[in-house]
Amino acid sequence: MKRFQLVVGLVLVGLVVASAIVSLFWTPFDPIQVDGANRLRPPGWPHLLGTDGFGIDIVSQLLVGARATLLVGIVSVGVSAVVGVPLGMVAGQLGGWLDEVVMRAADIVYAFPALILAMLFASVWGASTVTAMAAIGISTIPAFARVSRAGALQVVASDFVLAARVSGTSRLGIAVRHVGPNIAPVVGVQASVVFALAILAEAALSYLGLGTPRSVPTWGNMLRQAQDQLFTAPLQSVWPGLAIALAVLGFNLLGDGLRDYLDPRLREVQ
Amino acid sequence: MRLALRIGRRIGIFAISLVGASLLIFMITKALPGDVAQVLLGIDATPEAVAKLRAELGLDRPLWVQYASWVGGMLVGDFGVSHVFPGQSVLSLIGPRLAVTLWLVGISMVLTLLIALPAGMVAALKRRSWQGVAVSSAAQVGMAIPVFWGGIIAVVVFAVWLRWLPANGYVPLTQDPVQWARHLVLPCLTLAGVQAAVLIRYVRSAFVEVLNEDYYRTARSVGWTPMRALWRHGVRNAAISLVTVLGLQVGSVLVGAIVVESVFALPGLGSLLLTAVNQRDLLVVQGTVMLLVLTVLGISALVDFSYLLIDPRQRTGDRA
Amino acid sequence: MTQPAPSTRPLSRLSRRLVAVLSALAMLMMVGCTTAGTPSEPPGHTLTIGATSEPDSMDAWHNAAAAIPQVVLYNVYETLVKVDADGKLKALLAQAWELSPDGLTYTFHLNPAAKFASGAPVDAAAVVANIERLKSDSNLVASLQAQASVMDSATAVDTHVVQIKLVHPSIMWLYNMSSTLGMMLDPSFTGDVATTTAGSGPYALKSQSKGQSVVLAPNTNYWGTPARFSEVTFRYYTDANAMNASMLSGDLDVISNLQAPDALSQFSDTSRFTTISGTTNGEVVLGLNHKTKALAKLEVRRALTMAIDRQQLLNTVWNGQGTLIGSMSVPTDPWYEDLTGTNPYNPDQARALLKEAGYAQGLTLRLRVPTFPYAQKSAQFVASALRDVGVTVKVEELDFTRWLKEVYGDGDYDMTIVAHVEARDLGNFALPNYYWHYGDPKFAALYNAADQAKTEAESITLMKEALRYLADDAAAIWLFALPNLVIAKSTITGLPKNATTLSFDLSTIAGG
Repeated sequence: MKRFQLVVGLVLVGLVVASAIVSLFWTPFDPIQVDGANRLRPPGWPHLLGTDGFGIDIVSQLLVGARATLLVGIVSVGVSAVVGVPLGMVAGQLGGWLDEVVMRAADIVYAFPALILAMLFASVWGASTVTAMAAIGISTIPAFARVSRAGALQVVASDFVLAARVSGTSRLGIAVRHVGPNIAPVVGVQASVVFALAILAEAALSYLGLGTPRSVPTWGNMLRQAQDQLFTAPLQSVWPGLAIALAVLGFNLLGDGLRDYLDPRLREVQ
Repeated sequence: MRLALRIGRRIGIFAISLVGASLLIFMITKALPGDVAQVLLGIDATPEAVAKLRAELGLDRPLWVQYASWVGGMLVGDFGVSHVFPGQSVLSLIGPRLAVTLWLVGISMVLTLLIALPAGMVAALKRRSWQGVAVSSAAQVGMAIPVFWGGIIAVVVFAVWLRWLPANGYVPLTQDPVQWARHLVLPCLTLAGVQAAVLIRYVRSAFVEVLNEDYYRTARSVGWTPMRALWRHGVRNAAISLVTVLGLQVGSVLVGAIVVESVFALPGLGSLLLTAVNQRDLLVVQGTVMLLVLTVLGISALVDFSYLLIDPRQRTGDRA
Repeated sequence: MTQPAPSTRPLSRLSRRLVAVLSALAMLMMVGCTTAGTPSEPPGHTLTIGATSEPDSMDAWHNAAAAIPQVVLYNVYETLVKVDADGKLKALLAQAWELSPDGLTYTFHLNPAAKFASGAPVDAAAVVANIERLKSDSNLVASLQAQASVMDSATAVDTHVVQIKLVHPSIMWLYNMSSTLGMMLDPSFTGDVATTTAGSGPYALKSQSKGQSVVLAPNTNYWGTPARFSEVTFRYYTDANAMNASMLSGDLDVISNLQAPDALSQFSDTSRFTTISGTTNGEVVLGLNHKTKALAKLEVRRALTMAIDRQQLLNTVWNGQGTLIGSMSVPTDPWYEDLTGTNPYNPDQARALLKEAGYAQGLTLRLRVPTFPYAQKSAQFVASALRDVGVTVKVEELDFTRWLKEVYGDGDYDMTIVAHVEARDLGNFALPNYYWHYGDPKFAALYNAADQAKTEAESITLMKEALRYLADDAAAIWLFALPNLVIAKSTITGLPKNATTLSFDLSTIAGG
């Protein structure tokens, strides 16, 4: 059962990654060329899932959309992890007032969910992919900081770190040699979960018109455009919705599966 | 004495967090490229009019004075004046909308618990049989569905095809209670459905832990049914982790409410915020975001207080 | 705040159960709350109209948003003359009017019955007071200020006869007087026109709840045919699809203008809905910034026009609903002629012209559009079409406020798309500082001659010439004219086919 989660997660995530890579070299049709004569074709041949209101092939858009989804996920999770993990490690290892400051700051940022932060950014700089990624990235920093801190606390208290300290290894050395490798799995799990959150947040922002500009084929934008044909061509809304749901499911399962795989003690707990 | 100290410390943290959050909001909105007054007045404005508005808004004062007057105003209930809705104070805009959002969030939270508690208990008790797996899988799938997507589908099915319920809009409770309820059914169910999917997992974990406890085994061994044993002993003991989760979920419930308000055209805080963002009505944005953040921070503080009440052990021991 | 009349359909069993559950929950949560008031049953028919653009206030004199006259023009504030559904001028507060032979003096004979909601008469003195107010108000919206400056003076000849002298002859002026400029405000009114109304029309503002609706109630003092509805609600939606869903579920009586024409087929059930497809004054213009070096060249402008298959664009973007226009004029204008054949779709010639202009290697242009459905969709089509002829288009979407500042105000753009919804608005091309920066002197001369012509026939001939000049010069690219797509419950009658003014005119509507 638990292996099953990991496998399904890996397969779904693999599909998203594969779609994104394939779309770099090949798509069945041009994903942005408008073809007014061919609009709203039902699924069939040669347009396997039909065409949208602009006559653009849906399969091609889904493939290219995977790219945007991964980009938003990778950048925002990357920003978040690069800032959050070192902060958490330092806080956990050094403790004291520094720990207090970092954790209080994390609490404050945690009170700004991604969407609200994105709206705040959009009111100042206007909505774009960059503001969306920045908002998602910043708002998830506390999640990384917390797990890394908890991990660091655990590691620092362990016998082998005590031994290392006695033998004169510097704090930085301990961080690199012991804390880092030991918290890597937890961070990996967290990254997977945050990735799923990022996909959902980006879709919601696109839906509210605060994300990537409409002309770029992302899954969120496809859904937003498909809403015009919700009653006349409901399948238009099914495909991108399905893509989002499967990708999120994939990253969530991957996270769960990884956690169980890496840390058998947690199996029954969460 | 220790208890009072801990409560005092928590209140201090809450206050510091509020100051930090307000500073963050203030600094971000101050980063607006270009002149706020010019943006507000549009292109036809004369330079004199722009200068006048700058003075009116106090934009010609040093930053720290502007910040102090904003925060000071909020402390006495003055959030400033909207510029997109002329002559209206931010508070008078927020007031009627807050009621809508509170109803939506409140009813949804209750529904969330009504769905997630039984479902999570089933998932825990029957975790090795098909029922448990089915509940867990459904929760996993539910977590993956974007909330606006769920809302759109609900509108199509229940409002457009079946025509059981209104598609969107809002009627105040004082005006017509039946219409009020009818307009809230779909938004609340949508929001509750998505939140429940998240909560079910935590409920399940919390109860699985309980299942391994001695008192549960004892109760079972004297002939109690699993449900009864779980209900009598489990709920109380699972409450701590559930309160934590509910506290953590406040943010995501508020975000969900913003999206749901947009799908169902409910005139709540979320739609106010969206309008203000699109129109660059910065004081409204600042005020609304501050209120939302205050809610998240406030509830997280309340959650910490409630630990002390639910679990006497917390009163003495130090939490990790 | 009002709501649509309660549905006559009985609640289904499930929804009744849901209501019961929710009501029970509500009771639980209401502990400590007090509720006041009981549901009131309004007498007579009410009308609920869905619209997508919400007015910020009711003050049309200091706020240029078209959403204000949509509500108040003719319904709340009346004008001396009004424009009917065929685009013709007809009597309203003035029973008759004549123009002096030199084209400078208009004489209006007011309807002696006309009075404001306060009971005060709409007499010559009231008209004079209004015109003096317009001429002395320096905070007036810029376009109204320009229109008011055409007037020299107004005099009361008799209690019900008023003469208005113009600075120069102007055919346009009378049309302007049928719109926002001519709205007569009760001179005795001293309140805030942003939040209260004081007109002579069949309705008056009852309430406005921001972000939601504007409610009108009948003016019990109305001098003409009394209002047919006990209450009229304009309900505002930020999302066109939410509005459609409301219509489908029966919450709305009328959709004032369908913003998602692909949705038209949802309303094909004629037993439930009536669909009206007419014309509006909204020209969707692909505006070209004549300060951009490439776009200052005639060959380039012609090439861009030829690169876009406008019929295909209309099909794709607006589901084929709307009218193709070749210049800044719509079919209900008296000087309209079909100019869609000017610079017809021909991508090969477009490429050749670009090469001739020195852009054989390609050209990159920024297309900055406001976030309106027609603009965003058209932008996507245009970008794709221009890519075909070797022009790289960078599309940027801006919210309307920012668009007004950066594109309309600062002229920071190469191309943009926006609908110009004012009636008879080709004069904007004569203004060198307007955001297109066109101001071609030959066109300006033609336009001014047409406006100042002594007779209407002469004016029309000259306007046609001016419009042909614009089309030939490819001053802008006219994509299409927005259709007036009105959806109503089948019980509603009397909806005008064409939207010839900014008003959503309630006077002929009945049923409910």
